[in-house]
Amino acid sequence: MNKSIIFCGVGGDGIITASNICANALLRANFDVKKSEVHGMSQRGGSVNAFLVYGKKVYSLLPSKGNVSYMFASEKLEALRNVDYLSETSIVLINDRVVPIVGASIDEHEIDNHLKSFPFEKKIINFSEVAKLHNIIVKFCYFTKVYNLFLKRKTF
Amino acid sequence: MRKIISGNEALAIGAYRASASFASGYPGTPSSEILEYAKTFEDIQVQWASNEKSAFEQALGASIAGRRSFVTMKHVGLNVAADSLMGSSYTGVNAGFVVVVADDPGMHSSQNEQDTRLFAKFAQVPILEPSDAKEAMGFMQYAFALSEEYDTPVIVRSTTRVSHTQEVVYFDMHKLGGYENKLLAKNISKYVLVPKNAIARHKKLLERNAKLQKLSNETPLNRLEQGSLNIGIITSGVSYLYAKELLPNANYLKIGLSWPFPTEVAREFVKSLDKVIVIEELEPYIEEQLKASGIYVEGKKFFPQDGEFNLDIVEEGLIKASFLEKNQKKYFEVPDLPARPPVLCPGCPHRPIFDILHSLRVYVTGDIGCYTLAAAAPLSSIHTTVCMGASISMGYGIAKASLNHKIVSVIGDSTFLHTGLQPLIDAYVNNVAYTVIILDNSITAMTGGQPDAVSGFNIKNEPTPKVDLENLVRSIGIKRVFKVDQYDYKATKEIIEQEVNTKELSVIIATRPCVLAPKKIKDTPYIVIADKCIDCKRCLRVGCPAIGYKDNKAYIIEDSCTGCALCANVCPTSAIVKGDTNE
Repeated sequence: MNKSIIFCGVGGDGIITASNICANALLRANFDVKKSEVHGMSQRGGSVNAFLVYGKKVYSLLPSKGNVSYMFASEKLEALRNVDYLSETSIVLINDRVVPIVGASIDEHEIDNHLKSFPFEKKIINFSEVAKLHNIIVKFCYFTKVYNLFLKRKTF
Repeated sequence: MRKIISGNEALAIGAYRASASFASGYPGTPSSEILEYAKTFEDIQVQWASNEKSAFEQALGASIAGRRSFVTMKHVGLNVAADSLMGSSYTGVNAGFVVVVADDPGMHSSQNEQDTRLFAKFAQVPILEPSDAKEAMGFMQYAFALSEEYDTPVIVRSTTRVSHTQEVVYFDMHKLGGYENKLLAKNISKYVLVPKNAIARHKKLLERNAKLQKLSNETPLNRLEQGSLNIGIITSGVSYLYAKELLPNANYLKIGLSWPFPTEVAREFVKSLDKVIVIEELEPYIEEQLKASGIYVEGKKFFPQDGEFNLDIVEEGLIKASFLEKNQKKYFEVPDLPARPPVLCPGCPHRPIFDILHSLRVYVTGDIGCYTLAAAAPLSSIHTTVCMGASISMGYGIAKASLNHKIVSVIGDSTFLHTGLQPLIDAYVNNVAYTVIILDNSITAMTGGQPDAVSGFNIKNEPTPKVDLENLVRSIGIKRVFKVDQYDYKATKEIIEQEVNTKELSVIIATRPCVLAPKKIKDTPYIVIADKCIDCKRCLRVGCPAIGYKDNKAYIIEDSCTGCALCANVCPTSAIVKGDTNE
């Protein structure tokens, strides 16, 4: 049975990059992988999602609703927007962050309650903080030329 | 090598393997990345053209010069290059010539969802429809040989999902066979389409069609797949993948060469089966081909003619056609959420212009580019957008027909050079009084930042001469030409206001570069002094995603703000200041 992952968030979050890294990891683990995403308007701060389907042999590039095994969401509202792809057995990682929408008011409390009401397993973590720390480390490596060691190995 | 590649990358690799050595195109989602990949091959001369027609003819010229060549564009780009397509169908080619067109079902980033297969039928040129990246590579390779053998341009039609889906492909990076470039073709009766020659060429074209028809019934591109069930599905493109996932045991006729249509193969296929249906995205092209040949099968009775397919839509259609049993699928309901549409970036140089136009209450004819996003609330300041280059010409028509209204046409630099220049000449010689604003951010931003003729560098990032827009506009003869820097909000507003109220044709060139490309621009972020904020929401009306609103006060998201100062300029109480100001 094929499994699938949905990556979702806001344009600019790095959803496509995250899904690329994951796809290559699955490739190295000898899976057949298909990854589908849409470029274009979504890069201007709109909703973005990318789908990854993997298994022994994959035909469809998109999973069907209620069938996605894992979700990685870089924003809580976007996680909610894609819950129709999930099932009770899904495992969901959500970044503890709400990005405002131009011209709309968002009640963060209500969003949290909504997320809580779903039965799937979820972990809400403040990835943005982790990323900031990570950024400092990366910057340090960059300025101290340690970064060059990573660049030598081209993965994509 | 075993690698994950996208359909667009596969198309570029296919062209390389077929020894193509010339490529041109105009950027357009979802086709833009094909040339971005092709430029990495040293043996292919790659360039962006001003528009699709120019790109098409450049590549056709290269073909006549004896080099295998291709041109890339999105579906609506082929409308612009339609004249060239029709003509080249008559002239035929010298070395292989391939037209790659990427359709956008579902309109992820387009103004319509036309189906390029109908264009192939109209122009009478063969069209290949790959389903995934692997096929995209193979079909692209084959297209060059097909083009040469049958002396015809060949269309390779991709769709958003084919172009942007990445999958595992096994391939090597070697060129196939030792392709030798041909000599420049000198053949007046073939390449000069005056009536005498064209009459003869039309007859040749009809002979070619008969040969292609035979090929279509024999080629393995139109493939039969036997299944254990006594039902059949005729399909093409990504629809094949969805169907195969849902019904692996049906019989399939998978169409790869869609025009000319393999009618005889389909006739045989239908004969032996209980029930056959057609699954195809967008127009009922296959269905009509079948019905016209007296093969009565249904397709659009079960599947939508608009929008993009996915697994759920195809499943629903298969249930309607009684190919699948209805299952009680359960999935979570999405709560009622505000939509998150794409918006102009924080710091986008277009935003001040539209804030000004909004406040002046003028009628704005818009064009295709990032700035089309200014049609959405709260800026709501574009009133028409139809196709590339239509802003200046439609502004012309409205200004002439409706003298009491103040008309402004806005167009980006790339779109202006695409098809906006000629309408401006028309406006000048016919004395039409309105205001044209050229939003010169010096890049083709919407499609991901490809250089255009004012950028000063080319697709390979090499320096090039660049067009000076002010000189270009002045050379037409237009007297009222102004340059403004949008970040100087007050001066920009004064000039726009002055020109909107002048009864003469004027051109304002807004010169701030794009904040994303060629390099990301980020200045010190601004902050809101909460005590000074009077909750008037004026800053929210510029529609900047870096401005939020909480507890009756505006606030600025530090990570997103680029320091463009537009919000500070419109704030009536000077409550917004640069973040490093000591207050």
